[in-house]
Order: sequence, then structure tokens, then C-alpha cells
Amino acid sequence: MSQLLDPQAVTRLYMGNEAIARGALEAGVAVVAGYPGTPSSEIVQNLASVARERNLYVEWSVNEKVAVEVAAAASFTGLRSLCTMKQNGVDVAADFLLHLGLSGVRGGMVLAPCDDPGGLSSANEGESRQFARLLELPLLEPGDFQEAKDMIKWAFDLSEELGCVVMVRSVTRLSHASGDVILGELPSVEKKANFKHRPLPQDPQSGPMHSFPVPQKHQAQQRKLERAVEIFEASPFNTYEGPEQPELLVVTSSACTLYAREAIDLLGVQDRVGLLKLGTTWPLPPKLLGKHLKSAGQILVIEEVIPFLEENVKILASEMVLEIGPKKIMGKRDGQLPMVGELNPDLVIAALAGILDTPYQASSAGYAEAAAQVGEAGAPPRELAFCAGCPHRASLWSLSRALELDGRDGFVCGDVGCYSMAIFPTGFQLTKTLHAMGSGIGVTSGFGKLEQFGMGQPALAICGDSTFFHAAIPALVNAVHNQTNATLVLLDNSGTAMTGFQPHPGLPYDAMGNEAIPIDPVKICESLGAKVRIQDPFDLEQTEKCLLELLAERDGVNVMILRKPCALSPERKKTKDFEMSVDKQACLGESCGCNRLCTRVFKCPGLVWDSTSQSASIDEVVCIGCGVCASICPVGAIKKAEAAK
Amino acid sequence: MKTKSILHSDPFNVIITGVGGQGNVLASRVLGNMALAKGLSITIGETFGASQRGGSVMSHLRLSKKSSVSPLIPKGKAHVVVALEPTEGIRILKEYGNPQVSIVTNTRPIHSLGVICGDQQYPSPEKMRQWIESLSKQAWLVNTTDAAMTLGNPIYGNIMMLGIVVGAGLLPLDRDDFQKALDRLMPASKIEKNLKAFDIGAGMAAGNC
Amino acid sequence: MKVLGPRELFEDVQNSGLCIGCGACVDLCPYFRNYKGKTARLFTCNLPQGRCYAHCPKCEVDLDQMARYFWQAPYEGSALGPYREILAARRGPALEGDSFQGGGVVSALMVYALQAGLIDAAVLTGSQGMFPDARLAVNPQEVLECSGSKYAAAPTMAALNRAVRDGYGLLGVAATPCQATAVSKMRMNLLEQNDFKDPVALVVGLFCNWSLDARRLAQFLCQRIDLQRVRRMDIPPPPAGTLVVETDRETLEIPLDQIKPMIPEACNICPDMTAEWADVSVGMFEGRPGWNTLVIRSQVGADIVTAAIEAKFLETSSLPAENLNRLARAGTAKKKRCLTTLRQRQLINHDGDGARYPLRIPEDIAKRLLDG
Repeated sequence: MSQLLDPQAVTRLYMGNEAIARGALEAGVAVVAGYPGTPSSEIVQNLASVARERNLYVEWSVNEKVAVEVAAAASFTGLRSLCTMKQNGVDVAADFLLHLGLSGVRGGMVLAPCDDPGGLSSANEGESRQFARLLELPLLEPGDFQEAKDMIKWAFDLSEELGCVVMVRSVTRLSHASGDVILGELPSVEKKANFKHRPLPQDPQSGPMHSFPVPQKHQAQQRKLERAVEIFEASPFNTYEGPEQPELLVVTSSACTLYAREAIDLLGVQDRVGLLKLGTTWPLPPKLLGKHLKSAGQILVIEEVIPFLEENVKILASEMVLEIGPKKIMGKRDGQLPMVGELNPDLVIAALAGILDTPYQASSAGYAEAAAQVGEAGAPPRELAFCAGCPHRASLWSLSRALELDGRDGFVCGDVGCYSMAIFPTGFQLTKTLHAMGSGIGVTSGFGKLEQFGMGQPALAICGDSTFFHAAIPALVNAVHNQTNATLVLLDNSGTAMTGFQPHPGLPYDAMGNEAIPIDPVKICESLGAKVRIQDPFDLEQTEKCLLELLAERDGVNVMILRKPCALSPERKKTKDFEMSVDKQACLGESCGCNRLCTRVFKCPGLVWDSTSQSASIDEVVCIGCGVCASICPVGAIKKAEAAK
Repeated sequence: MKTKSILHSDPFNVIITGVGGQGNVLASRVLGNMALAKGLSITIGETFGASQRGGSVMSHLRLSKKSSVSPLIPKGKAHVVVALEPTEGIRILKEYGNPQVSIVTNTRPIHSLGVICGDQQYPSPEKMRQWIESLSKQAWLVNTTDAAMTLGNPIYGNIMMLGIVVGAGLLPLDRDDFQKALDRLMPASKIEKNLKAFDIGAGMAAGNC
Repeated sequence: MKVLGPRELFEDVQNSGLCIGCGACVDLCPYFRNYKGKTARLFTCNLPQGRCYAHCPKCEVDLDQMARYFWQAPYEGSALGPYREILAARRGPALEGDSFQGGGVVSALMVYALQAGLIDAAVLTGSQGMFPDARLAVNPQEVLECSGSKYAAAPTMAALNRAVRDGYGLLGVAATPCQATAVSKMRMNLLEQNDFKDPVALVVGLFCNWSLDARRLAQFLCQRIDLQRVRRMDIPPPPAGTLVVETDRETLEIPLDQIKPMIPEACNICPDMTAEWADVSVGMFEGRPGWNTLVIRSQVGADIVTAAIEAKFLETSSLPAENLNRLARAGTAKKKRCLTTLRQRQLINHDGDGARYPLRIPEDIAKRLLDG
């Protein structure tokens, strides 16, 4: 039940992303655009759910660059707009943002990237903060859930005052964490869109939006940042708590603030350590910083992931050295904190305890020993796996077999989505290259042009339906145009599954649940001149046969579309096609002739090895009745019966 | 607000753990809203996303007078562990447990892929009980999944666990708080069954140790 | 004989370039399959011992142990293997059909054996376009469809494995030397399975000096000829020095030195030219088109030849001494080539070192063949 529109002054338990969404509503946002990416997706989802009531346009754009463009257009007409994505979405949008920084904005525009330190749900732990500095945009970082809401609201005002897009960066431990938030007022705002593209001398908010002449626009942009600094010097989002002359000054931002506070508490060093929490982290306010650096004995910068804040503090400290004196500034570069991975209270405690020479023990030595004795046997690690009934498992099974039978040391170039897990045993470790969205077919198109250098290994790209629209189409164009011999296997499971099943341009509805025009990947591929075959991945025999034929062809680009909805999709979740069972007498189990093909290799979580009866069996709670395992059993011991409808 | 003395530790740290898909998030929402109903502040840290694909999940709940404490509990600082799956309970105890921790755990196993495919061994119930008891001050081990099936859905098992936790007095929260949380989170049609599950759990707390 | 598992099989054979694609490991289980002449491992199996290894003719083949099992005598390394008689032979009038390469003896024996109920099915090699494939023939028509020499290595033993699974218990097999070695290993029940029953009633060996990699041959020929139309391939006797490929439109003659690079390395470590592990072995009769050389080895072989002659399926005649001598010299030469290659690749067995070898042969015999 949505609490997003609850009234002013009540306290609600909000996820960080909900708080951000609420902040945008309180700011009177009109247009929201993004691309699904953990940990950001709930922001758009929440706003989409109230789009009608709050008169919003909410869009899942085809990719982050277009999302920023859509949001920018709204801003140009004077509307307030919000754009959300995960950290590497900013990389995708960077070219546009670079020019947006120069052209400026009209209605407030906030870019809210949500970073994933440690890469818990990403193939990287890249940072969006760097883009603020690189693209010369102001950067804010909320330090808790209340700020996640309040800062967004303020960011819109700031954006309009400066005429610049403002970045508000969140992280997993804020976006996906929850805390109590006191709600503010939901305004009734008149939202009128008009793009004043004709320049009027008396109206600075008129004229075309572009970056020419470049040096002048660049200078204007830098002036905006100077103005931002003035504002930041007095911002209530920069706070200090602690003694006037701390032995150690901690400079921090974002969720790290919460770890730092906890660490100071647990170590009982409140009278030795000062905590300077920065909400405005680019550009840094030098006066504020200088004041606190000067009165500190030494300094520790706590942040994640790379030493962005640390390096910027060091630059300022060096500029101000005559005023503040030389200071020891610790952080990641000197190894107090790791250069990679997520931070947590324990890493911060360890750094502080070390610097302050304060002993700390997480738990008693006896407990630690008891825990060590339990060891891994007590809690076998859980590897990631495709869900029971996942069409990717079936597709990758056939792909794996086809490549081995083809026998030319072929391989798969992977892409981003659930099927990224094809690098793991659950996907038979089939994927041999994995990088960014759409890069599977891009890299494959590269491999396909190396025949003149003796490259005889066939390369296959796999790509999901959402990824196809996001970034694969230009690479496909490249492959066709350059007459590459390549095969793209499009794994079409009717949604953006990995991030929570959001819609994409292949589907007939949009983020807000309204009707939308579905775009057919088959028609796109055919019109590009690729040869297209469509197959049901659950028909293992046919899929394998078709793949072998495509692998043998050496005449241009083939696209095989393996089409089956995701096991978690609304269409499939409620229905069981088959009731599955194992004939234990017929099951060969571990003996030569099978050696547990289903539980050792295929590894669907619905199939369990029963060591008592030395046979496979079906876990009825997990099995969703897709029937694929019946096709792989060498002796037909796995039975499928039509389920009652 | 009589919040001053009800938390014998501030923040009071609860970890709800299980396997992706078991309803961890819902359970933590309910508990979080119970805390709010009591007038406490709550911070919850969670890992979802990729972990839904059969991986371990945990929710860290911090009940406090203060808002916005660290969403991650420091190692060795859990007060109560609620485990929807027994080996996940053990996993959490090893990292976040301490000699004073209390644990309520479901006993029904969910096999990891490694166990399913025969690479790993799932520990025996006796061994698990032994380990859990060696790593906690008090432990409740109940097959809440089976008990929940009598109500028609394994997810009621999670509510039963909350009932056990409250019934055993492990948290400074009560049935009233639970009812208020339900009113906030669930449609009216679901409330009765959830209350029933909660009460069954509270009843188990008296019996099981 | 040492029997290990699929991991060792893959390491020692498929991944070492020594797989001949005979199909002995194929269709026993889901892990090994043959596609267009190449045996592939689809997924890894970690059993310490498997039938795949037990059957493989390139894995720990102990010639002496086999000789004692089948011939009740030690392995001698003779030129043509143990035999009772060597004759010239051709099919008799009872066998209908007219497109036989050589004397049609293999077809004749198989058709006769089927009709006489000596076998319930015949494991043969047919072809799909350019690629030989494994067939199970249950009637004379199906046997005749498989007639004609195949020069590319074929996964024929896969059909044997499938037939056993499907319940056939009296199989006739037409097998090249490597395939016959595999069949023999299989019949020895090296894994000592209690429920093992020998499903093979008759092994007709085929002479072979070397074969060709099916895919490389197909790739070579497809540039010169329409593969779908290939009707017949033949290597005429010396001094021709060519491979002759016939379609319905044309005949292509390719010099052997263009063909020889396509010989699998596995053939270079094969000591057996006349399919010594068989009941009878059949080969070309150089200089006498329409006739075969027939080697009778076992009692089963002798009996079927006698019966086939009586039933007018077979005609025999004596083999001139000159042919016999030439054959023997070729047989010995192949053994020598085999051992030379094994020595070069350091694959000659030294007892007691725990390593794995494709072939185990008594030391004195190896020495004699190498240096004598």
C-alpha cells in the first residue's frame, strides 16, 4: 500500500529511494525519466505509481542517455524534472551531460544516480561522483534518509538558482535501506510547459539551449560553480559535531557518515574526534573546510569507493597550506581504508581504532573461536543461480552443447542482465567476455572480422530484450554493414528482469501502466538485413539444431531469438504447465550413463539430489513446472504430466 | 513516550536473515512499522537485487531513539537474530553474534545449489542445533514453514517468527504494535490470518526452547 | 587393463589430438556426442571410472591382455594378427544388388547373418552426404544402403552403444581396426559389471592403413565438388596415388599427397592394419577388382564363412602368395610406423611409472618391431 502520498508532518518508514521520490514530489516535479538499474529502480517505480494523481509524466527510457535528454527537454520548458539511474548509467549519459553543463537548464533538473559500492548488483563499482567534477556540475550527497528527501527538494531550488543540472548521489546503503522520515508538504503546482527558444533581451530564461560559443559558455558554467560554492559555505547539509579542536577530524559524506558516527560511539571517542559531514561534495566549500582543517590535529577522510573526496580535500589543503598549516590527511591512499569495495562500520572502526590507538574487539575471543569451529560446514555458501524455470538456463544449455558439438573452440560474448550469470556454473560458465550494456554484439562484431588473421573460432553474442533496445542496435548495424560473420542470440523474456521486471520498448505498456507501442526486435533485425530465426528455448532439440546450422553459416549476421517469458513474470508466476516427478527406479543417479546430469550439471533449484534413495527428486515448493528437465534425462526418468488448469 | 527505558541497548539490533524469496523484506517492514508504532525510530539495511536469485539475504534492523543510524550493524553486535532458514541463522551468528545473542530460527532447510548438486553437504539437524546453541544465549528452533502450511502459505511462517520473538519478550514490542503495523501495511482482508499466525508464534514461544 | 574416467579420457585423447572419432564413447551417456565426424564432450563428468574410457581404443589398450582373452595366447606382434586362413573371396549369387566396392563380402556376410538369425542387427557405417554416420541395419535393404568404403573416420560404435541400450543382444559389427579394438575392449567387461552380457555375435573387421578427418575432408572437397552429390570414393591400388571421388556428374582425382595431411594423428599410433580383433577381416584385393581379401580368424568366423558359402552368399578362392607377402609387409610396416610415432611422442609404455598410455605392448615385441 503506497505511503508515498501520506500527509505532511507524519513520520513514515521510507526506503531511501522512496524518500528521494517523495522529495521530488514535494519539489513539484513534473517529468521523471530513468533506466532500470539497481539500486535506483524504485525511484521511478514509486513515482510512476502516483503519476496520475500528481500529474507526472514518468518514463522508463530506452537508455540513460535518452532518459537525461527527456528530462532535459522538460527542464527547457520550465518544468522540473528528475532523472535516475545506477552508477554506470551516468557513463552512458555523460556525453549529453557534458553539453548540458554548457547549455544550462531552465526548470530545476536533478540527476539522481545511485551507486553500488562493492558491485553487489553490478559488474563494476564505478563512481558517479567523478562525473560531477569531470563535467563541472554541482554534487550533493544525502547522509541519511531524511536528507535523501530534503536534499532532493533543495536540489531543485539550487538547480533553478544556478541554471544548472544538479547531481544528487545516493548509494545502496541509503537507496535500499530504510529509516524514518518526517514528510513535508505536497504542493499543488501549476505545471505549464513552454520552451522560450526565441531570445528576449529582458528575459535571461529565454533563447536556444546549446553550448556555443564554447569558451564563454564554459566560463558561465564555472561561474555557476563559484556561486554554488558561496551557497555551500552556508548550507545546513554540511554539519559538524565534536570538539572545537579535535585530535582527529573525520571528513565524510553519504552513508559513510552513519558508519563514522557509529564507530565514534562504539569506541567512545566523542571527545577526541570531530565529524565534519559534507552534503555538498563538489565543489567543496573552501572556507568551511579550511576552518575545520585548521583546528584539527590530523584528518581522516571516509568515503566510498575511490578517494574522490580525499583528493579534493588534499587539493584544497595544499592551496590553503599557508593558512591552515601542513596537515596529515589520511584515507584510502595511505591504506587506512581499502581502495575497493563497500565500506561498513567495522572497517571504519578499525581505521579509527588504529589511528587513535584504542583497542576494540567485535566479540569475545571465546565466541570467535566457537564461530571458527563451526566453520563453513555450518553455512554452505549460496551461489547465484537462475530461478527454477528460467528460460536462460534452457537457452544456455543448448548454446553450450551447440558450441561443443561445433568443435571449433567457439565462445559466447555476454551482456548485462540476469543472463550475465552465464559466467557462473549456473550458466555453464559459457560467457567469456562481459562488459557493458550492448557490448556482447559489439565485441562479437569485432571477433567476426578477424578471419584474415586466422581467427577460426566462432563467436556468439547473447543479449536480452531490454539490453537490445538500450545499446545493442548500433552494434548490430555495425555488424551487418561490415559483413561480419556473427550470430546474435537474443534472449527475449519479455521484460527487464534482473532489476525487477520493468517494461521496455518491446512491450505494449509503459512505466505508468498506460498503453504504449511495442517495437518488434524481429522486424528491426530483419530490416537491418540480418537473418532471423525464432525458437522456443524450451524445445532443446530444435534450438540446438538451429544453433548448429547458424554456427556453420559464414555469410553475415544471423539473429536467433529465443523467446519465452521470465519465470518471475506475471504471465508465468501463477501457472504451472506440468507436474514433474522422478521415477526413482529408472533414475541412474551417480552411475556411469548419467552421473547426476540433472542435479550436478543442469542444476535447476527445483531438482534435488536425494542421497538416501540415490536418485534425483523434485522440490515441489521450488519447481514451477516448466518441464525442461524431462528433456535432458538420458533415460526419461523425469516425468512430466499436464498440470490441472 | 515511554521510550527511555524500553531499549536496554541503543541501538537495539535485530537481524532477519534467510534466502532470497523467503519474504525477508516483508518481515523487516512489519517489524520496522511495529517499532514506529511504539514511537521508536528505526533504520533498516537490506541487500536485494542479485541476491534474489537464490542467494543469502539479510536485513539489519536498528531500533533506536535516534533516527538514521548506520544501516549496517557492526560485527558481533546483534541482539536478536530471526532466521527464516537455519544455515542462514548460523551464517549470521558467526559474524554478528556474541555470547548474549538470542536467536529464533525456522528449521526447514533450503538447499543451496552446491548442496543440491552434491558439491556441498547440508548439515544435519542435530549438528545445526548444537552449533546454534553454542553460539547463542537462548535459541528457539521451530519448523515454522510446516506450521504455516496449516494456514495455507509458507509466508505466514515469517509472521509466526515475529510472534515468537515478541512472545518470548526478546523485543520491546507487543501485539498492539503488530496490529498497528498490519493496519499500515496490509489490506483488511489479510489481517486476520496474519494475526492468527502471530498468535500461534507467540504460543510457540512459551512452549519451545 | 587400466580403466579410468571421462576426465582422463578427455585429457589423454580428445584434448591431445588422439581421438579417432570411432564413437565408442558416444551415446553411452549425455556427455560425449559425435557431430559431423568429431567427438565432443558436452559437459564434464567426474566419475573415476567410466565405460567411455573402458571402450576407447586409444586408452591403455593392453595388447597382450587382449590377446590372451580373445586368442588364449600371448600377443606376438605378427604382421597380420592371428588367423586360420587367408583367402580371396567375393559375394555369391544369393546377394542381390550390384554396386559393391570390391567383392561385396562385408555386405554378403551381414545379410546372410541377418537372414540366418545369427545376428539380430548389424552395426554399419552409412553416410549423410560427406559425413559417415553410424547405422543399425535390421534388414538386407538397410545393410546394402551402407555398402561402399568410407575413407573418413566414422562414429560407428555409437550405433553399437545405442543398440545395446535398445536391447539388441546379437549384434554383427563391421569395424575398422580401431573400432574393432573398441568393440573388443567392450566385450571384456573391464569394469566387471555384474549384469554384463556380451551383445556382440560377429565382428567383421575392415582393413585400414589410415583414415581421414571427416570435417577436413569435407572442407577440402566442398571447394571442388558438390558434397551432396558424392556417390562413391575410392583409393585405387598403387601406383595410382590418388583419391577418386565420384558424383553423378563427374569424377575427381586428387593426388594422395594433398589428402595425407588430413590423416588424424590417431592413425599414426595404430598398430593394426587388418583388424586383428575380429572374427573375420575383409580388405581390398589389389589387382583383382570384384574380389576381396578375406582373413578367417576365430571359430565363429570360420563357421560363418562355411555356412555362407553353402548358402551361396559367398564364394572363395585361394590367395596368391605374392599378395599375401605384400599384405604382410604392409601390416608390419604399419606396426613399425605406429611404434615409431609412439616413441617420438614419448608414449611408449614403461611399466611401473603410473602414467597413462594409449597402447601397452610387451617390450621385447616393441623392440623387435622398431628395430628389426
